[in-house]
Amino acid sequence: MRILGSSELCEDVQKKDLCVDCGACAGLCPYFVSHKGKIARLFPCTLPQGRCHAFCPKTEIDLNHVSETIVGKSYDGSPLGHMRAIWKTRAGRLMQGKGAFQNGGTASSLLVAAMASGLIDAAALTRRKGLIPEPFLATSTDQILSCAGSKYMASPTLASVHEYSREKGQKLAVVGTPCQMTALGLIRMNPLGREDFHDPVALSMGLFCTWALDTRRLIRLIENRVNLQDIQSMDVPPPPSQVMTIRTCDQNLAIPLDEIRTAIPAGCSICPDMTAEFTDLSVGALEGDPSWNTLIVRTEKGESLVEEAVRQGYLERDAMRPEHLEHLRKGASAKKKRAFIMARDKHLLNTDPAKGPSALIIKEDLVKKLLGEEGSCLH
Amino acid sequence: MSPLSSGKKGSRHLFMGNEAIARGALEAGVRVVAGYPGTPASEIIENLAKIAKEGSRKLYVEWSVNEKVALEVASAASFAGLPTMAVMKQPGLNVAADYLLHLSGSGVRGPMVLVSADDPGALSSVNEGETRYYAKLMEIPLLEPGDFQEAKDMTTWAFKLSDTIKNVVLLRTVTRLSHASGTVVLGEIPENGSNAFFKHDGFILDPNEGAILSPPVEYKHTEQQRKLKIAEALFEDSPFNTYTGPEKPELLIITSSICSLYSKEAVSILGVRDRVGILKLGTTWPLPPKRLLKHLSSCDHIFIVEEVLPFLEDEVKILAAEHGKTLGAKFFYGKKEGYLPMVGEMNPDKVAAALSRILAMPQPGMDDVYKKRATEISFAGSPHREATFCPGCPHRASFWTLNTALSMDNRNGFVCGDIGCYSMAVLPAGFSTLKTLHAMGSGTGVASGFGKLGGFGMSQPVLSVCGDSTFFHSAIPPLVNAIHHHSNMTLVVLDNSGTAMTGFQPHPGLEKDAMGNVAEKIDIPEVCRALGAEVRVCDPFDVSESRQVLLDLMDRDGVKVLVLKQSCALSPEKKSLKKYTMSVDQSLCAGENCGCNRLCTRIFACPGLIWDKENNRSRIDEVVCAGCGVCSSICPKGAIMKKEAV
Ligand SMILES: Cc1cc2nc3c(=O)[nH]c(=O)nc-3n(C[C@H](O)[C@H](O)[C@H](O)COP(=O)(O)OP(=O)(O)OC[C@H]3O[C@@H](n4cnc5c(N)ncnc54)[C@H](O)[C@@H]3O)c2cc1C
Ligand code: SF4
Ligand code: SF4
Ligand code: SF4
Ligand code: SF4
Repeated sequence: MRILGSSELCEDVQKKDLCVDCGACAGLCPYFVSHKGKIARLFPCTLPQGRCHAFCPKTEIDLNHVSETIVGKSYDGSPLGHMRAIWKTRAGRLMQGKGAFQNGGTASSLLVAAMASGLIDAAALTRRKGLIPEPFLATSTDQILSCAGSKYMASPTLASVHEYSREKGQKLAVVGTPCQMTALGLIRMNPLGREDFHDPVALSMGLFCTWALDTRRLIRLIENRVNLQDIQSMDVPPPPSQVMTIRTCDQNLAIPLDEIRTAIPAGCSICPDMTAEFTDLSVGALEGDPSWNTLIVRTEKGESLVEEAVRQGYLERDAMRPEHLEHLRKGASAKKKRAFIMARDKHLLNTDPAKGPSALIIKEDLVKKLLGEEGSCLH
Repeated sequence: MSPLSSGKKGSRHLFMGNEAIARGALEAGVRVVAGYPGTPASEIIENLAKIAKEGSRKLYVEWSVNEKVALEVASAASFAGLPTMAVMKQPGLNVAADYLLHLSGSGVRGPMVLVSADDPGALSSVNEGETRYYAKLMEIPLLEPGDFQEAKDMTTWAFKLSDTIKNVVLLRTVTRLSHASGTVVLGEIPENGSNAFFKHDGFILDPNEGAILSPPVEYKHTEQQRKLKIAEALFEDSPFNTYTGPEKPELLIITSSICSLYSKEAVSILGVRDRVGILKLGTTWPLPPKRLLKHLSSCDHIFIVEEVLPFLEDEVKILAAEHGKTLGAKFFYGKKEGYLPMVGEMNPDKVAAALSRILAMPQPGMDDVYKKRATEISFAGSPHREATFCPGCPHRASFWTLNTALSMDNRNGFVCGDIGCYSMAVLPAGFSTLKTLHAMGSGTGVASGFGKLGGFGMSQPVLSVCGDSTFFHSAIPPLVNAIHHHSNMTLVVLDNSGTAMTGFQPHPGLEKDAMGNVAEKIDIPEVCRALGAEVRVCDPFDVSESRQVLLDLMDRDGVKVLVLKQSCALSPEKKSLKKYTMSVDQSLCAGENCGCNRLCTRIFACPGLIWDKENNRSRIDEVVCAGCGVCSSICPKGAIMKKEAV
């Protein structure tokens, strides 16, 4: 994992459309800011190495290094990452109907439970202004609930992690997509070995993700069909549905996915992670029933939060059907395979340092295993 | 009272070239003077405005809204029989040229002089435009003083000439004459003259009592050329054309204006006074042919010394060709032959170098000891400084806002600009924000055009900037054009409450005129609103608010105007008044570390901030800092503290 400076970040990530606007480089310093869904560099910075580059999930990421540091286990390419348990969950009796949840409300409910228990005092979440996603530091139940619902746009959520860190807090929950969770892992690894570093994160919660959309491209796609300020919610129903739905007070817009896909940044196409593998907990939709979630429990900390939340009525839990788990595995390993092939084709996988930067670094034998031998890992 | 107005006849005074011109006009009894500020011409009007303010003589002086209007205002006085003068720098003459063509065709009544100041080498301009060609183009006489005494005498005489031929007379000065000082022996200032009255009900072709107009063109044009012939005849024995040197020189230098001094010096450096003659011309259009032919026949080798374009050179060559039969072949050493450059200022060294080449003499070397000492002093005595805005300058804050807003917007937007202190924004001083830089008001015209290219796939946001004075001077018509044509652009008016670059001359946006009288103030935002633009006004020192407003404006179609209003740091009401006492909290400053990398001294770069390399921290230079407080709002660590100054 070579760490370089802001110019390399611009060259190797932003100019190649690999940026997924995760916000890890934004708000660290005066140079990078996110504005209307796009990262801007205001002035050139001359430092040869900096946190902007070090935290970016699209600069050279050694997945094994991240996995060992954050999860404590090596990266083995298993489709859903390391996990202790997987459940079917939704908001418990205390939380039912409390918010405009995307699915079962697991994400929001667990955050409320974590705040009630004192595990966290703030959560780095994502709001929306029209179609523009904005980072938001929630410090109350109401604020957590105000962020419910998925924004299918890449969002600079992590910028508020830096904001929180400045106040030297250490009880932050962060909810985000897999790339954001990778970046969060990098932030927590203190890659530049700064003495003034402290880990602000008490809980990391990932969201399943196949892709996120570039905000500005999405706006251009739909601004003539809908008043952006009126949008109430958006959803990408699972296959066989082939549309993205956008709901306003008086309109239900269905946009074909083929059209929508033109707004996906190239960065998503090399992302091998569907379930946010470097987290305490990961939440996604549940196949066949959008009012429930799939919840992956990865760490002890995550586990005890879930147990406590179930006991107190914040969360309802059930066993997940084996065929659903199998489908999820399939989907996740298909994303992995696609990503590694794409990264290899773009010379972004295990690239000879003399020939340019990689985006992903994994052990060569794992590449072979994942891409070469059909069936070993994909089913 | 200054010696400019009270100096007695025969007394000697040290005058700047521009003061000498002002005095010359007073001695001609000038009554109305109008102009537009522009270096190096501004002090002429400034000095006359002071005298008008004193009230001891009947004199009306104004800073007009632009040069064309200045020429129109001055001409009205002439039409009413008064001696009058218009003053501008050369680019302004281009603005006035439209009217000048009409005016020189119609002719004038009261004597009228047009002073135009050139800036060879563009010392305080963005070009080195030429006045002299206008004399030929407009068919009016041209006078060029060569020293300070002449600056005064020639001005006075220019009025006399105008009175004789009843047409405008052009007087050209240059920076090195206008801004240097020399001794001038004064003449008499006449008592107040006749009253103003415009006679207009005589026969239409009566030059003294009829209507004033340029048609019928053939008749009037012939008249105009007849007048020029009179001038030419007078020029034949003008004392402003002088010759010094041997009767039959080996080489004849023909020169004019300040170049006559350079020529004299070069001849003396080389010690060739007995070989080289200098014909210094003060009346350069039309050239007096007899006078010239006399000198041309005395010598076959001609070296022409003038600044920028070969105006004299061409005319002398034409004359020599026309009289080739009697004169015989001549050898010319001029710009076209490569002896002198066609760009930049002239100086004695350049002339001496060319002269030594022509005379096949060794180049005059500099005394070694002198050279060494000069190099030392130039290093030790003048620290290297980047061209930048002053400490506390609102333009730094404004361009910070423009630049960061455009970067955040991230659609490759850009700013079209024009001339003012803010032209410096093409440089790092203004974060290299300006991407086109042309004539006054042109930024907005160019932006109006860019703003129509959406139909060709252009989606970049288009901004223009102009100063408050420029807004009135020439930004209103392009703004009207943009609004009328539904162009998509944002005009940012950098309103620093005065014509700051040229020395705070008032303009129509202020409550005072050139003479200090109460004037009608015209409100820029109101004007823009009335035209139909969406208008916002912000204080550029409130960086985050200005930026947000600009980002919002850029997002919308149509013509938007943002007025960034904050007085110039050097404005009389602000000068040496610090609003805040500033300091850097060394424990908070991140210096060169990741997280800041000295934004304040590396990028923002107000001269009031110093980089303390040893401690890896920034500091305030209390002596230089103007206390505007802006840097405290750009520091990412909140390390720059501001305290209300007591
Ligand atoms: C871009 C994106 C793509 C997704 N793709 C899939 C998928 O392919 N398959 C699948 O099973 N699930 C996917 N999800 C997850 C799914 O949409 C739900 O977020 C998840 O099921 C949790 O539902 P919930 O009811 O518990 O969420 P809620 O309780 O409603 O909470 C949603 C949480 O998501 C956060 N959030 C919303 N938008 C973003 C964003 N853009 N970036 C970061 N955080 C955000 C909010 O801060 C909030 O805390 C995706 C989510 C996003 C944001
Ligand atoms: S190196 Fe540090 S200071 Fe420079 S741009 Fe990156 S994060 Fe900012
Ligand atoms: S992916 Fe994230 S860290 Fe990388 S450039 Fe984009 S916003 Fe910055
Ligand atoms: S901007 Fe602030 S933190 Fe950065 S060097 Fe200047 S004073 Fe220090
Ligand atoms: S307060 Fe800051 S920006 Fe203003 S003059 Fe002083 S150093 Fe410069």
